[in-house]
Amino acid sequence: MKFGTVWHLAIVLTKSQLRSSQRRKFLAKWFGNPNIIIILDVLLVGILGTLGYFLVSRTPTDLLDTFGRLEVEGLIGIPTITTFMIILFGILSELSQPIQSTSTDLVNWLPISPSEYVLGSTISLSYTYSFLLAFFLSIALGPALYFGHGLILVASAIMGLISLFIGSSAVELLRAMTNRISSSFYRKSGRSGIFVRLSLTVVVLVFFQLLFSGRVIVSLLGGLTHTVATTWYVPIMWPSLVIQTLSAPTDLPPLGFGLLSLGFMFGLFGLAIGMRRAYWVPVPVSIRLSAQPYRSSFSIFRIPGLDTAESAIIHKDLRSLTRRREMARFIAIPFVLAASLWISVYPFGGSSEGLGSAAIFVYLIPVAIFCEVLSMTSIGQEGSAIWNLYVAPIDANKLVRAKMLLTIMMGTLFTVALLLAVTFLSKQEPGQFVSLLILGPIVVLEESALGICIAGRFPDFRETVRSRYVSIWGSILGTIIGLIVAFATAAPILLADTFQIAFPPIIIGTVIGGLVFVALWKLAIHQVNRLLTEIQV
Amino acid sequence: MSAVEVKQVSKSFGSRQAVANVTFSVRGGEVLGLLGPNGSGKSTLMKTIVGIIKPDAGSIQVLGTNVAADPVAVKRMIGYVPEAPRLYEFLSGVEYLDFVADIHGLGKGERQERILEFLKALDLEGRENELIHGYSQGMKQKLAIAAALLHHPRVLVLDEPLNALDPRSARIVKDVIHKLRNNGVPTIFSTHVLEIADAICDRIIIVYDGRIIAEGTSQELKTKAGSAGSTLEEVFLKLTGTSDTRDIVEALGR
Repeated sequence: MKFGTVWHLAIVLTKSQLRSSQRRKFLAKWFGNPNIIIILDVLLVGILGTLGYFLVSRTPTDLLDTFGRLEVEGLIGIPTITTFMIILFGILSELSQPIQSTSTDLVNWLPISPSEYVLGSTISLSYTYSFLLAFFLSIALGPALYFGHGLILVASAIMGLISLFIGSSAVELLRAMTNRISSSFYRKSGRSGIFVRLSLTVVVLVFFQLLFSGRVIVSLLGGLTHTVATTWYVPIMWPSLVIQTLSAPTDLPPLGFGLLSLGFMFGLFGLAIGMRRAYWVPVPVSIRLSAQPYRSSFSIFRIPGLDTAESAIIHKDLRSLTRRREMARFIAIPFVLAASLWISVYPFGGSSEGLGSAAIFVYLIPVAIFCEVLSMTSIGQEGSAIWNLYVAPIDANKLVRAKMLLTIMMGTLFTVALLLAVTFLSKQEPGQFVSLLILGPIVVLEESALGICIAGRFPDFRETVRSRYVSIWGSILGTIIGLIVAFATAAPILLADTFQIAFPPIIIGTVIGGLVFVALWKLAIHQVNRLLTEIQV
Repeated sequence: MSAVEVKQVSKSFGSRQAVANVTFSVRGGEVLGLLGPNGSGKSTLMKTIVGIIKPDAGSIQVLGTNVAADPVAVKRMIGYVPEAPRLYEFLSGVEYLDFVADIHGLGKGERQERILEFLKALDLEGRENELIHGYSQGMKQKLAIAAALLHHPRVLVLDEPLNALDPRSARIVKDVIHKLRNNGVPTIFSTHVLEIADAICDRIIIVYDGRIIAEGTSQELKTKAGSAGSTLEEVFLKLTGTSDTRDIVEALGR
C-alpha cells in the first residue's frame, strides 16, 4: 500500500464531497477547501465549549447533580451516536446518488489498489464527518471541565475517533455490498425489481427521517446509556463501553473493550477491502422491463383536454419519480410528513380530541410542503436530458400544464389520505371537515403553480448528490412563499372566531385561493416561456 | 428558395463570442457539412437553427418560418441529434421512442411501423425493453438518431451523429441521409471525420473562432487552399492555421 496515494486520494475525495454541493464560486472557494473542516471543528469546540462552561457555572446548585449525571451519560453515548450518524449520512448520501454517478470511474483506470481506495475513502469520510464528533464533544466540554471529568472526556474523544473510522468502514462495506446485491437483483427482477427498490428506499428514508423527530431522539438518548451496559455483545457499543467502565468501574476492564473496539474497527476495514476487491467495479445493470415484442401504445394519461404531448410528459415524469433512486426521497415526503404528524400530535396515552384549529395547520402544512417541493423539482430533475423538451414542438402553456398535473394528481392522493388521517386523529366537526375538504385541493393547486414558477425561475439542472433541482435561493423563497400562500388561504377560517365576517369563511378562502392560483399560473407560464428561449445546459 | 437561411447570426456567452456574423443557406435536398476545430461554434450555430439558443443578432428561416417568431412550428419540422445526446435513462428504448412519437403526435399504426423499422435497422431489436441506463454509448446514439427521424422531419440537423456508432450503423445512417437527400430533405451535418464530410456532403463550411472562413464543395475548398491534390484534412489544417503540428507531436511523443 502506497500511503502517498492514499493521502492524495483522501484529499481528492474530500474536495469532491465538499464541492459537489457548491454552486457559487465564492462559496466553493471557502467551503470547498478541506481546511474548512478543521476550522469548523476548532470553532465548534472553542465556542460551544466556552458557552457550556459558562452555562454550567451559573446553573442552580440543586440542578447540578442531575446535570452532572446527564453529562456523563452524554460522554458515554458520544462514540455510539457518532458511528450511528455516519452510517445514517452515508446511507442517505448513497440513496440520493444520481444514476449517472454510481460508478467509481476514477479507480477504474488509475493505478489505485482496493486497499488504497478503501483507506483513502474511509479517511475522507471520517474527516468530512468529524464535525459531528466535534459538535458532540464541544457540547460536553464545558460541563466536563466544570465537573472534573477531563479524563472521561479525553477517553470519549479517543473512542469517538475510533467510532468515526468504524462508521466510515461500515459505509464503505455497505457501498460495495449494495452495488453487488442491487446489480444481481435488478438484472433478474425487471419491473418488479424497480418497485421493490422504490418501496425499500422509501421505507429506509422514512425510518431514518423519523429518527430525527424530537420525541424519538430524546427517548433514544435516554435509553442508550441504560442499555449500553447490558449490550456488551453488540460491537458497535464497545467504544461506549470503554467510557462506561471508566466512569463506573466494573469487573469488565476498559482496556479490554478498547482492544475489542480496535479489533472491530480493523475487522470492518478488512471486510470493506475484501468486498471492494471482489466487487471492484459496479456491474452495469441492464433492467429488462418486459419480454414482449413492441406494441404501439399511447400514454396511459389520455386525460380529456390534454393532447398526446402533454400526456406523454406526465407519463414520463411519473416514471422518473418511481424509477429513479434519487427521486425516491420526494415520494417519501408524504409518508415522512404523515408519520411525523402522527408522532408529534397524537397524544399517546391521552385524549385525541380538541385539536381544533391546530388540525388545519397539521393538515395544510404537509400538503403545502409536499406539493411545493414536488412541483419545484419538475424542471430541474430533467437534468442534461432537458434538451429533449427544448427541441419538442410544445409551448410554455402545455409544458406548465403537463408538469403541474402530475403534482396535482400526487398531491390530491396525499391530501385525501391525510384528511382521513387527521379526521380520524382529531375527531373533526362536520363543518370543519368540509372546510378541510375544500381547502386541501385549493392549496394543492396553488402550491403546484407556485412550484413551477420557482422551478422555471431558479432551475438547477446539475445531477449531484441530494440535488434539490432548484437553487438554494429558489428553495428558500419557494418554501416561504408556499407557507404564506397556504396561510393566506386558510386565514379566513382561522380568524373567523376573532373577526365576525358576513360571508362564510370557506367562501372567502376559496376566492383568495382562486385568485392566487390564477396569478401564479400566469407567472409560471411567463417563467417557463423565458426559460424555453435558451437552453441552460 | 433556400430551405434554411441563416443571416448575419451572432451569439456571445459573456465575453466569449461563439458565433460571429455568420450567413449561409441550405437548399432543399442538400447535405451541408459544418467543419471546424473543437469550440469553433458549430454546435452553437446548430442550436440556434433548431431554436434552442436565441441569437444575439441576425435571423434564421427554416422552410420559410422564422425561428424566433414561431419556434414551435420550426421544431415540428426539424429532426435534431445533439452532440453526445443525453436521453431519459429511466425509460426503456421503446418507451423513449413512444415518448417522442407522442410529443410529435404520431398515429398508432404509423408509430408501430416506424419504431419497428428503426429498431431492426439499427440493431436495437431484442434490447428495446431494457432501460436506457444499461445501453452502451453507441446504442444511445442510435436511439437518438431514430428519435430524430421518427416524425418524418423536413429538415435534419445532426451534430456529429456518427459518434460512437459501429461501422454497420454508421453506414445505415449515411445511407438514410442519402435517401432523404433524394427526397428533398436538407441536412446540416457536423463531423470531425473529414473523410465522411468529403464523402457525403454536397457543400462544406469551415467554421473557425465563430466565423465562416471557407465555403464550397470539397473540390472547391482544395482549390481555394491551393492544394488541389491534397486531402480534405490537409485543407482543413491549412485553412484553420493549425497545420504546424510538428512541435506538438514532438513534445507529446517524448
